[in-house]
Amino acid sequence: MISMKQLTGRPWLAGLVAIAGFAATFAAGAADAQAAPSATAAPPASAAADATRGVDQDVQVLKKQLVDLNRDLFKLEEELLYPASTQVAVFLSVDVGTFFALDSVTLKIDDKEVAHYLYTDREVQALHRGGVQKLYLGNLKAGRHEIVAFFSGKGPHDRDYRRGATLLLDKEVGAKYVELRISDRVTSLEPEFVVRQWE
Amino acid sequence: MSFARHCRCLALLASASLAFAAGTAGAQEPARDLPPPTQIKDLDYGDVLFHFFQDEYFDALVRLEVSRDFKRIPHHEAEAELLSGGLYLSLGLYQEAEDIFNRLLAGPVPQSVSDRAFFYLARIGYQRGYYDNAWRSLQRIRGPLPGQLEPERRLLASNVLMAQGRYGEAIEQLNGWTDKSVWADYARFNLGVALVRSGAGPQGREYLERVGTMGAQTEEQYALRDRANLALGFDSLQQKQPAAAVAALNRVRLDGPFTSKALLGLGWAESDAQHPELALAPWLELRKGKVLDAAVQESYLAVPYAYTQLAANGQAAEQYRQAVQAYAAESTRIDESIAAIRQGGFLDSILEAVPRTNDVGWFWQLQKVPDAPHTRYLYQLLASHEFQEGLKNYRDLRIMQRNLEQWRTSLEAFDGMIAAREQAAVEREPRRQALLAKTDLPALEARQSELAAHANQIKASRDVGALATGDEAREWQTLEQLEKTIESLPAGPQRDALAERARVLRGTLVWRFDSEYKVRLRSVETGLQDSADALAEARLRLALVQEAAGTAQGNTAAFAQRIAELAARIDGIAPRVEATANAQERVLANIAIGELEAQKKRLANYTMQAQFALASLYDGATGGTK
Repeated sequence: MISMKQLTGRPWLAGLVAIAGFAATFAAGAADAQAAPSATAAPPASAAADATRGVDQDVQVLKKQLVDLNRDLFKLEEELLYPASTQVAVFLSVDVGTFFALDSVTLKIDDKEVAHYLYTDREVQALHRGGVQKLYLGNLKAGRHEIVAFFSGKGPHDRDYRRGATLLLDKEVGAKYVELRISDRVTSLEPEFVVRQWE
Repeated sequence: MSFARHCRCLALLASASLAFAAGTAGAQEPARDLPPPTQIKDLDYGDVLFHFFQDEYFDALVRLEVSRDFKRIPHHEAEAELLSGGLYLSLGLYQEAEDIFNRLLAGPVPQSVSDRAFFYLARIGYQRGYYDNAWRSLQRIRGPLPGQLEPERRLLASNVLMAQGRYGEAIEQLNGWTDKSVWADYARFNLGVALVRSGAGPQGREYLERVGTMGAQTEEQYALRDRANLALGFDSLQQKQPAAAVAALNRVRLDGPFTSKALLGLGWAESDAQHPELALAPWLELRKGKVLDAAVQESYLAVPYAYTQLAANGQAAEQYRQAVQAYAAESTRIDESIAAIRQGGFLDSILEAVPRTNDVGWFWQLQKVPDAPHTRYLYQLLASHEFQEGLKNYRDLRIMQRNLEQWRTSLEAFDGMIAAREQAAVEREPRRQALLAKTDLPALEARQSELAAHANQIKASRDVGALATGDEAREWQTLEQLEKTIESLPAGPQRDALAERARVLRGTLVWRFDSEYKVRLRSVETGLQDSADALAEARLRLALVQEAAGTAQGNTAAFAQRIAELAARIDGIAPRVEATANAQERVLANIAIGELEAQKKRLANYTMQAQFALASLYDGATGGTK
């Protein structure tokens, strides 16, 4: 009599090969952080491979052209809407920022609110890593202007914290850059908020 | 390649370009482990980094190109070049990236920059299978790379060595690796797998065992540990070592991505160890899963197999019948999926299911796609690297298509603005003409000359009386009339007394003129200078007003031309994006259909096995009766 095991035909090898994950574990070979070329993957039929390669090359060419096109569109937009003679750009940066967790910023120019921004965790993290946010881009006439920024968030001991900082800006002909900077005042264990002009 | 690794790949490729980059999947690293940020000397470069650190690579790249064109990042030129290479790489533009790194290395760059450029080149070489080139680039890195880049370099080096079959040197790389980073665990895992595959099983299992028993803290480490245990478990099964397999597979988490495979293997290990009753537990648990999972499919055969081992043939037969039904139902669903995919548009659900940002982790979101015929197997298809890359391309193209549509709308608005500016210029023209008409600048200039000449004459002759005030001039005139009247009077003491008083008055007035002369002359000269300056300003403004119409027309015309050119470029490229996205979809559809047909074949095979087993059971039962 044939054994039950033989009769049922254990789906052993078929099963193992079928389980893509297991196959991939050994086939791809590398659990690295890279797109390791699969040494054991069956080569696709040449027509299909050619089609894939062809599309991939088309995509690469297109992406490069799209980057260039977007660059030119960005430049046009800025030159048209914010000409250098009247342009003012306000940036926000965080230096260390141990004593303050940023939630939002409100920006006023000559007592008129021009920007209000709520930050996501991801954005705050990008600021902590050295990114600088272009918070506002606009136009100002030559002359004296008052720039006021209100920072809201959590201060020391997780308390709600809201502070303002002011700058009197003498706008001349030419683009003007302003930086809102959040840093730590180590001596008082308090955050410090500074608004300054870039020359 | 796993999805997690793919995600890490994107993040790392680009972040590697920065001295202060956190390296390993930055978002997962605690902020305190980050090196202090580099001093930003150009705010626009900081803006690029702001988007880069959020994995918004396309935005970061465009802003970088714009800022460079505007010459706004002069203090970060080399870094910016390196970053642009990394960004092109993360967008899948290998050739562009490679050209940038080679160009960068051809010039004089600091070692910190050249080291990272060589690292990138090594990575590209490895990814494209040029291992010798990759190794040469790695050899040219002189110093330790910053932050998490250094362990990644070592991992890359060990991977290249393994790819070249130089296992001994790869082991040397690992042996000197003392830090506790997850990179070393990856390297151990890779080496373990490579050794097992090369026939050095015991040595390979030793490395896998170390990873499989490591203390994990992050999800990434847990997943890696699971993979190591899964690999160990199945290898032990193949080596006919069920006890070792059970030990390894029991270490796999019950709620991870490898759970179903581990449950299946665990059942087989128990079965091999002649413990069918123990094998049933994991298999029955596994059978509760979705039939589209290959391990679940196999459990439909494994469960009745265990029953037969336990001589519970009635239950086994029932289970085989259920298996046949389940396979048939699944096969029908696959047919529906193939038909739906053939209809086209099956990838559009991806764009609806995932966030519109360039989040590198978006592949994970595909687990949540609706259970519709065209999307049901999408997540399983992602096991294929080729499918992942194609899907990324497709998604990128669709996002860029939306981006082009937004620009098209903006350009229409810009066009409107230009038209409004032209209209305003037309409306200003009569006022401009009127102003020009009534402004007689030459007459004013002539008058200025006359006054200046007169002042010079006064100064030359020191004519103090010429600078008398109105009252003084009247007084002087009155005095002269009085003197004439006095002269006409009869001579005598009275006339002499009056003449004397007139003489005193004259002296007083002359003294006053004389004493005030210098101040008055300076005042006149200052006034003349002011009016000369005002005339010069007027000349300038008049010239501007005269030119204004022409300049405004020129500006608006130049902008209008640029808008028209860019609109034409959008019109030209948009159909190509559409065509390429469709071509990409066709390629992916073919891959998907190929994979689904393979699944169908497997199901057919399983069905045949189940039917055969069922027949055998009936046959055995009949034989027993006989």
